[in-house]
This record gives sequence, structure tokens and C-alpha cells, in this order.
Amino acid sequence: MAAKAPDSGGSGEILPITPSLSETTSGVTAASQSTQPPSSSSDVDTVYVPSYSRWFSWTDIDDCEVRSLPEFFNSKSSSKNPKFYIYLRNSIIKQYRDDHPRKISFTDVRRTLVSDVVSIRRVFDFLEYWGLINHSSSSSAKPLKWDEKSAGDASSEPPTTVKETAKRICNGCKSICSVACFVCDKEHNSKAYTYEKFKRVELSEESKKVWSEKETLQLMEAVMHYGDDWKKVATHVTGRTEKDCVSQFVKLPFGEQFVKESDSEDSLEAFDKIKGSADLESGGSDKEGSSPNKRMRLTPLADASNPIMAQAAFLSALAGTKVAEAAARAAVTALSDVDYEAEKNATGDPHRQDANANSGGDITNSERAWADAKSLIQKEEQEVEGAIKEIVEVEMKKIRDRIVHFEKLDLEMERSRKQLEDMKNLLFTDQLNIFFHTRKARKSEDRVDC
Amino acid sequence: MKALGSSGWKGPVKFRMPTAENLVPIRLDIQSEGQRYKDAFTWNPSDPDNEVVVFAKRTVKDLKLPSAFITQIAQSIQSQLSDFRAYEGQDMYTGEKIIPIKLDLRVNHTLIKDQFLWDLNNFESDPEEFARTLCKDLGVEDPEVGPAVAFAIREQLYEIAIQSVASARESRLSKKGRRGSDHGSASKASGLSMDLVKLFSFKSSVVRKRKDLDVYEPVVDLLTSEEVDALEAREERHAR
Repeated sequence: MAAKAPDSGGSGEILPITPSLSETTSGVTAASQSTQPPSSSSDVDTVYVPSYSRWFSWTDIDDCEVRSLPEFFNSKSSSKNPKFYIYLRNSIIKQYRDDHPRKISFTDVRRTLVSDVVSIRRVFDFLEYWGLINHSSSSSAKPLKWDEKSAGDASSEPPTTVKETAKRICNGCKSICSVACFVCDKEHNSKAYTYEKFKRVELSEESKKVWSEKETLQLMEAVMHYGDDWKKVATHVTGRTEKDCVSQFVKLPFGEQFVKESDSEDSLEAFDKIKGSADLESGGSDKEGSSPNKRMRLTPLADASNPIMAQAAFLSALAGTKVAEAAARAAVTALSDVDYEAEKNATGDPHRQDANANSGGDITNSERAWADAKSLIQKEEQEVEGAIKEIVEVEMKKIRDRIVHFEKLDLEMERSRKQLEDMKNLLFTDQLNIFFHTRKARKSEDRVDC
Repeated sequence: MKALGSSGWKGPVKFRMPTAENLVPIRLDIQSEGQRYKDAFTWNPSDPDNEVVVFAKRTVKDLKLPSAFITQIAQSIQSQLSDFRAYEGQDMYTGEKIIPIKLDLRVNHTLIKDQFLWDLNNFESDPEEFARTLCKDLGVEDPEVGPAVAFAIREQLYEIAIQSVASARESRLSKKGRRGSDHGSASKASGLSMDLVKLFSFKSSVVRKRKDLDVYEPVVDLLTSEEVDALEAREERHAR
């Protein structure tokens, strides 16, 4: 099955796994498959593998491996074959798991494998990228140094941020967090709970809800630089989690970034319109549906793949909100006028205009039915046109083929004519030769006679 | 005899490692800032050159060596690679060469002594496969032994390949015309190769003579830490 590459956010859920062959010496226990952290676990023994690497199996090779490491599968060299690849991969993973949770280094591995070092490095990098080795495990289970406000330790339930309620309750001591709490946004892997991974979040009611200027600025910068990579954005913005950043960004009034005037509402509309018109022109741009329009308005700037959007946004930024808004309105009305004209010409029916003008208003049933019938007829016309076009194309192709065929025949004719000519010439020269010979023969006869 | 001899002669072959994979054995022994880094591994010369620096950086990071080592490691690898490449354009004669390969190495706590015959003409041979099988058969637990064995074999093959290039050059310089049989005698004179004809003629048998049995048997010893220390001290004294 094709597995998509993990995105840099590493947002896959974690599955604890057991190897299907039981050869590891460190007893790997089978934890139940859940995204919740195990409440009391022998942490050292459970190996976690990210869900995007679910395809891994000791005895099989998955497509993504073939794609990423083609050198083993293109039979260019006899010893770099799939079996050899399996040997390398399994030995690396086994070695890592034997020493889990210690991170394994490339040099450890390459000293123990019989192969040339560059191939080993490629397999090693591949496995590390897919989280099959060295996956978010700390090098040593340091005891968590908790702030005195929130107590907890590595083996008990890891604290999570409770976002839904207004007050934060510490998962460790079950009391309300007052001054500050430590927040960890990593996956719920107990190995990940080292001191560094926790961010200190100051808790006062305002700072939780209201974003300061500085933070907003940082958010903007981060989004400009990193685009969709919310993990990086969150690290750039001090004190805010990923979810916070995303929700704040979504709520941001767009004009803030580009326009110094606080014409936020208008600019919102203006860009909506621009987007609308760009959609009409470009036939719709596809963005993730999860975020509302706001995000779509900003990301085109960072998103070079939709040049029309980027251009439009850039130009509107240059021109300023009022101008952009006016231009957009004019563009939209012009477009709808064109539409409107076309339909008027096609039908010349006043009812249609009414239907247009009253769209969303109080149309009577008959008018609506009339409008529906109209659209159906138009659709049929288009279909018929399409069919006619196809037929014409086919006929054209036939004619073209016949012409080609005819040209070939012509060429053949030429050739045979030329051949005929040649033969005629040959015949002529032969005749001449014979004539001369007979002349000569007769002459010599005469001479002899005389 | 004569017919066999002439059929044994092969035209000159472009230099390469006489193994399935054209891998170069690389040995590193760098001392700087009071730290010594010794290593030996195999490298594929067809890999792009930037891999050298990548590898050097990786190794230095993993072994926590001072960063001065990076350039030195990279330079050493590059120079050995360019030596190898310098040989690559030239011809070498292989002939009917079966050579004995000797292993005498100590890796961590394991000592291996072995001797076996290797066909130099077999360009499909695979020292890595041999090393893996050897370790598996002898029940060697230390996984670092395998690569060391493969490396030792490759090193010796490399040496012999270089020698055959040198001898090819010599024979071309000294004897301009007649090559075939002369070269055959030259290689025999080097004393390394065994005469296939003599070995497999109907007079002698394929079974090894008694006195050679001990030599050709692999020996694996597991040393204790003190013995390891003693051996290391002795090696260092010899090196100095």
C-alpha cells in the first residue's frame, strides 16, 4: 500500500508496536494500540513507531522503500539486491531496538555491517526519516524537573494542556494551575518527557486569551517565513502552542498585516471578492478546506503555486485597500454584467432578468421552474455542441489520414516512373551497342571480302 | 601443457577490484590534538564526492571528535580514492591466479586466524558475502568482526591487483613483442599464485595434504580483557 511520506510536522499518531519475529532480547511488550499514553508502563521496553511507518514489516519490502532507495532494486549490481537491503535494514533496526531507548548513531551501525559505508548511510537515513529508528526517544530518562506549581513525574500520566476549560488543571497534582504551568505539545510518548520539551506558559487570564502586539508580530513573521509549518511557527512565537497559533491566525483581521489603516472589515470583503473573481477566472484554486477564507487570503502570498492569486494579492497590497476594494467591486460587477449580457442575448427574455435580480429574494415558483428549465436547456445545448465538435474532429482526422495515404501513393508512382525511365535508358544504350557492333561486324566483313 | 598454458592467458583487463562490487578498502589513522582515530571500511568509488564530506562530518559527530578531524578524514579518504582512480585507467593481467588469502586480525575481543584460496580471476567474487558466512558459521558474536574480515580480504586483493598492474607495465616496457607465456612465467615467479595445472592434474589429488590442514583451518579465539590490553600494548610498541 502506498504510504505518504511523513510531513515535517510529525503529526502522525504514535502506535506502539511489537516486531512480528520475537528475536529481540529486551522484552518488547505489546501495549494496546491507543493514542493515550500508557498509565503505568515499563517505559524502557515499549518501542513506539509513528503511524506513518505502519507499513514496516520484517520480511517485506514496501513501495516507499523501493522508491527511496532504488539502488537496491534496479539490479544494476548483483550484490545490491533486495535480500541485501533486508539484511541491512533489519540489522540496523534490531541493533537500535536492542539498545533502546538509546539513540543509535550511524557510526555504531556501519562498524557492524558488512557493506560499503555509503549504502549503509542511505538506509540509515531512510529509517531515521521514517521514524523506525531514533524516534523521539530521549537519550536518557531524565527526571522531570517540575516547577513547584505543577508536580508530576515521568511514570505517571503525562500532563496535557486542557484547552477547553478556562482554568487549567494540572494532570499531575490535579489542582488548578495558578502561576504557571508547563506545557508539552509533543506526542504522548512517555519517553519524550524531558525538561526541555516543556514550554513554560505564564497563566494569567488575559495572556491566555489576548494576544499581545509582540506575539502577533511574531506570528505574522513566522507565517511569512514558514507558511504552513505550524510547528515552526509555534516555536517562533514564544509562549504559544500550535493550536493557539492556528486559531489566532485564523481570527486575525487580514488588513493588519499589510495596511496600516484599520480598515479591517472592508479589506476582508475586498479580498473575498478578489478571491471570488480569481476563482471565476482560474476555475477555482484548491486549498485545504479546513481553514476558513482568512487563511486562504494570506497563504496565497506564501504560496507560489497559485500565481494568479499571488499576483492579485500583491497588486491589491500595492494599491491600498480602498482602491483594491473599488477595483474588485468593479471587476465583479463587470463579470456579472458579461454573464448577464450573454444570457440576455441568448434568450432576450425579461423573466430571466427578474430571476437574476431577485436571486435569493422572493421568486415565485413558476419563475423558478422557468429558470431551471432554462439551465437544463443550456446544458443540453452545450452537450450537443460538444458532440458536434467531436464529430468534426473525427472527420478531420479521417481526411488527414486519407491525404497522407494519397501522398504515399503519389511517392510510389514517382518512384516507379523513375524506374521506368531508367530502364528505358538502359534499353536505349543496349540498342546502341548492338547497332555499333553490327556496323563494325559488317564493316569487317566487307573488308575481308574485298 | 602448452595448450593449457596459452588458453589460460587472458588479454589485459582494465583495472578494477576483482570482486562483484568494485569497492575500495579505506584505512584511516589520524592523530590530532592528542586524540587518535583509527578506522577501516569499504567505500564505493562511484559514489559522488560530496559523500566524503558528509561521511566525515557524520563520523566526527557520532564519535564526538574535535572538528579538526573532519578535513583530515575527508582528505585522507579523498587521497586514497584518487590513488585507486589513478590505477583505474590502466591494464592489469589476471591470468589463472589462485592466491592464498591470510587473515590474522583482532577485533575487540575476538581473534581470527585463517587462510584460504581465492580465485583472482573470478570477478563475481564477494568478500562481504564471504565475511558474513564466515562469522555466521563460526558463531562469532561480535558484529564488528564481519566488516573487519571483509576489509582484510579486500585490502589483500587490492594489493595484488596493484601488483599485477605494475607487472603488466613492466612486461610491456621490457618485452615489447612476446607477451603471453612470458607473462605467465612472470606471475609464477611472483610466487603468490598457484599453478592450477599442477594442482589439478591427474597425478595429484584435490585433497589437501596433511601438513597444510592446520594452516588452512580457521581459528577463532575469544580473549579476556587483560589479554586484549597486553596485545594492544605490544602493538603500540611495535608501531613505535
